Amino acid sequence: MKSSQLSVSSRLSSRVTVPVVALALAGLAMTGCAPSTSDNSSKEDEKSGKLRVWLFQEVNNAPKKKVIDGAVADFEEKHDGTDVEVTYIPIDTRAQKIKAAFNDPKSAPDVIEFGNTDTAGYVKDGGLLDISKEFGAWTDSTNVDPTAKYSLTIGGKVYGAPLFVGVRALYYRTDVFKELDLEPPATQDELIATAKKIHSERPDLYGLAVGGAYTYGAMPFIWANGGDLADEKGKFGSNEYEAAIDSANAQKGVKAYTSLFGDDNCPAAKCAQWGGNDTVEAFASGKAAMAIGGDFNRQAIEAGKAKGKYKVVPLPGVKEGDIAPAFAGGNNLGVLKSTSHRTLAVDLLKTLAGKQTQRELYDAMGFLPTFTDVRGDVAHKDAFVKPFVKTLNDSAKFVPASPGWAAIDAQLVLPTMFQEIVSGRKSVSAATQDAAKKMDEAFEQ
Amino acid sequence: MSHSRVSLRIRRPWRFAAEATALIVAAVVAFPLYWMVLSAFKPEGEIQSTEPRPWTTAPSLDSFRRVFQQEDFGRYFLNSLFVAGVVVVASALIAFLAATAVARFTFRFRTTLLIMFLVAQMVPIEALTIPMFFLMRDLGESVPGVGLNTLGSLILPHIAFSLPFAIWMLRGFVKAVPEALEEAAYLDGASRSRFLWQILFPLVFPGLVATSVFSFISAWNDFLFAKSFIISATENSTLPMALLVFFKAEGNDWGGIMAASTVMTIPVLIFFVLVQRRLVSGLGGAVKD
Amino acid sequence: MSAGTAQHARRAPAKGSRSRPGPAVPAGRRSGKGPRRGTWTPWLYLAPALVVLGGLLVYPIYQLGLISFLEYTQAQVSGGEPTTFQGFANYAELFGDGEFWNVVVATLLFAAVCVVSTLAVGCALAVLLTRVRAVPRLALMLAALGAWATPAITGSTVWVFLFDPDFGPVNKVLVWLGLSGFENYSWTYDRYSAFALVLFEVVWCSFPFVMVTVYAGIRAIPTEVLEAAALDGASTWRIWRTIMAPMLRPILVVVTIQSIIWDFKVFTQIYVMTDGGGIARQNMVLNVYAYQKAFASSQYSLGSAIGVVMLLILLAVTLVYLRLLRRQGEEL
Repeated sequence: MKSSQLSVSSRLSSRVTVPVVALALAGLAMTGCAPSTSDNSSKEDEKSGKLRVWLFQEVNNAPKKKVIDGAVADFEEKHDGTDVEVTYIPIDTRAQKIKAAFNDPKSAPDVIEFGNTDTAGYVKDGGLLDISKEFGAWTDSTNVDPTAKYSLTIGGKVYGAPLFVGVRALYYRTDVFKELDLEPPATQDELIATAKKIHSERPDLYGLAVGGAYTYGAMPFIWANGGDLADEKGKFGSNEYEAAIDSANAQKGVKAYTSLFGDDNCPAAKCAQWGGNDTVEAFASGKAAMAIGGDFNRQAIEAGKAKGKYKVVPLPGVKEGDIAPAFAGGNNLGVLKSTSHRTLAVDLLKTLAGKQTQRELYDAMGFLPTFTDVRGDVAHKDAFVKPFVKTLNDSAKFVPASPGWAAIDAQLVLPTMFQEIVSGRKSVSAATQDAAKKMDEAFEQ
Repeated sequence: MSHSRVSLRIRRPWRFAAEATALIVAAVVAFPLYWMVLSAFKPEGEIQSTEPRPWTTAPSLDSFRRVFQQEDFGRYFLNSLFVAGVVVVASALIAFLAATAVARFTFRFRTTLLIMFLVAQMVPIEALTIPMFFLMRDLGESVPGVGLNTLGSLILPHIAFSLPFAIWMLRGFVKAVPEALEEAAYLDGASRSRFLWQILFPLVFPGLVATSVFSFISAWNDFLFAKSFIISATENSTLPMALLVFFKAEGNDWGGIMAASTVMTIPVLIFFVLVQRRLVSGLGGAVKD
Repeated sequence: MSAGTAQHARRAPAKGSRSRPGPAVPAGRRSGKGPRRGTWTPWLYLAPALVVLGGLLVYPIYQLGLISFLEYTQAQVSGGEPTTFQGFANYAELFGDGEFWNVVVATLLFAAVCVVSTLAVGCALAVLLTRVRAVPRLALMLAALGAWATPAITGSTVWVFLFDPDFGPVNKVLVWLGLSGFENYSWTYDRYSAFALVLFEVVWCSFPFVMVTVYAGIRAIPTEVLEAAALDGASTWRIWRTIMAPMLRPILVVVTIQSIIWDFKVFTQIYVMTDGGGIARQNMVLNVYAYQKAFASSQYSLGSAIGVVMLLILLAVTLVYLRLLRRQGEEL
């Protein structure tokens, strides 16, 4: 052999290495016979120690941090021997982070903030703790907005406390309305007519900016016409759903919303693709005379050309004097099942989602409180939030509180439906029926 | 460097045409980059404007301020640098050995192995994240420093994902080293490991630099592992997390996104400028059959 | 790429003049290397790579296959629901979805166009780089490297900004150039113009890899060969076809296979630029489909089934490509 230079020892070592590698691989394969699962329920309830909290990181996070720091200091003072560590997680990473926390209880926090449409999914994933008893015993809970509470209630059990709500209403340009001598619309038909009138007189403007992927902007039209996305099977609170988007009333709403796409208001070529943010951006940059925006969009609009030239009214319903029901978005706080400090964690949750903190969060961040009395106070002080609070108090609604909603949302079932209609691919009845079929599949999973 | 002198023989009008084309193409290619940097400097409200202008009259550092004022930003930066650095060095060394094996030896399953190296890249990475998550979790129980929440949990998967490509590329460079050189070395009494590290390694070093660029970028720009494996220990987050902060459900902060991206791109450009001479001379080795 | 006899005539002396002394070894076959046959040495060298790849890639891929036959969602992972064996149910669900096949076809076609365009642009610019002096070369190189280094999510966002019907400068420039049809033109509304827009971005961010690699390869070709051809009066195209391309074969193979894999798996560009698959899902590609159908709602088992199918398709494409190469006498 010419490779005699190869020393004996290295040949030996190679003889050893390969089987070792093979063994290591085999070992890995053995442990991998079944995919891993994780048990994250905890029986412990320690009365002191470290509590971890995850909150969403806002772009301008400093004011939020200041309020939370105050609440945390308060809590630590009242509970000896506790140490609260708050981490702010980027909103865009929340899905991975929270799933990872469910999968690895050791890394999991005790209290988390989450979007209220995620509740049902997180409960099914075994992540959230049922705190019905503590919630019921909490004196402040009597003032909690019922829609916000509904978003936390699965199978009759309560899985957290609402932190803030967000709701949409109609933004309109006061200068354009004055120039064209228009009044804010009082009914849905007027809204559509006004939008088209504006576009015909000011072709450089979209009358009402709408988006084919703006599901939350479209929902009020469906609800105002007496339709719904899905009906709860059996009694209220069963959390079993059946799609209703193809019902006659829902179709009426879909037809009304999609009639706004076209060269007479918001050309389908542009608007079919838009989501909520795009419509708000169009309004903020002065390209639209009206838009359906949330209380949380105020800052974006103030930064644009529309600054100081707009007002907000509740989105009109079908009949004069009615308000079209709007989607009550917002975030909740919940306790994780894996917590080893149950009592403390629930106490902390009550502090962080309590009236005092919510009031301060409104002042710092503009987050609308979930307690009806606190919300009344802030509406009294700030005229801007009045139409939003009115909408919330009168007629806010929620999406199906089902784990299937996450799949419907991810698969873009409703945006696809609207886009199929406004691009002329399908009729309203065909598109809604297809969407209903996909929704039912998701509910069944 | 054996620079080709062919270009000097091209007739003048053609060379001017070629150079003009090169400059125009460079401008077109650079324009989106320019727009990114410009948007980072534009004041809020001007970024999405109905009169898009390729300049701004009121440059503002607000967006950059929002990027740098993030808590732990400097730490994220160093973490990214560390992860990318370790990945580059480790994958280069491992790939060098493996490439030598597949380029200089004949053995059973060699071709199969080469194709297998590519297979992992063919699967959507989200599909592998869950098994890898549990692997990292279990590994962390027995091996400290590589479990979830550690920088090791980012380094290991990145090494694994950059290896196949590095091996394929380096194979060409190793092949390019003349056989005669190896035989001469052995005749001089060099041991196999001496040949490997003291003769072959320096010869393919430019190739290693070339492949490192790829592993550097993939590790530097990664979002998925960073957001899946670093769960509670936010002090171990990497730079892309500082970019993701600006993506929000109720309206993205475009200025912040552009500023953070500019900040992220600059180190890679510096890395490129530093290695580009070696990169070009290095890659050339791969063709010498 | 049938090169014809002229090419072979040129290729032979070119090879002979290269750095390898002694009798030419028949292409690819490593005959007469007795000493390195049958030893453990290659496996020793491979060991670190095999440990890392075995542990971190083979194992997850094995799990991928396993999970694709189970019911395994987040509810099973952490929700305490039992993991059950489903046989081919996940695959049946996938193949039963009419949209899936359309998406596969669209993905294959779109990826093919991307690969061909990227290679064409990259190779053309690499040749161009050899024709210019230092300053324009550096300018083009730096611009390309910048495009390469930009995070995909940002690159896609910027391209959408540039082509935005209301806020983008591109349409304004096209109108100014006299193409009045682009006044307020929405690139993402029509299926093909939306794909074209994504194609531009994909080519923009992936041609630098091809250009730099191929340029480096050209620089390594012995100058005499190219000079001889130039003296013969051969055109640039002819020199590329008959001298450069055959010599660059090993590089082009790697570049092509990588481009196929990357472009078939395109995700960020489609996801960001067409808002998750385009108007009424007209721009859907497989990786986005997989994300929306499975991963976004944590249906890992269905996602794994899609992953396995993608793996098989890509493997088939790669093997066909390598088989074609072998038929032309090129060996791995």
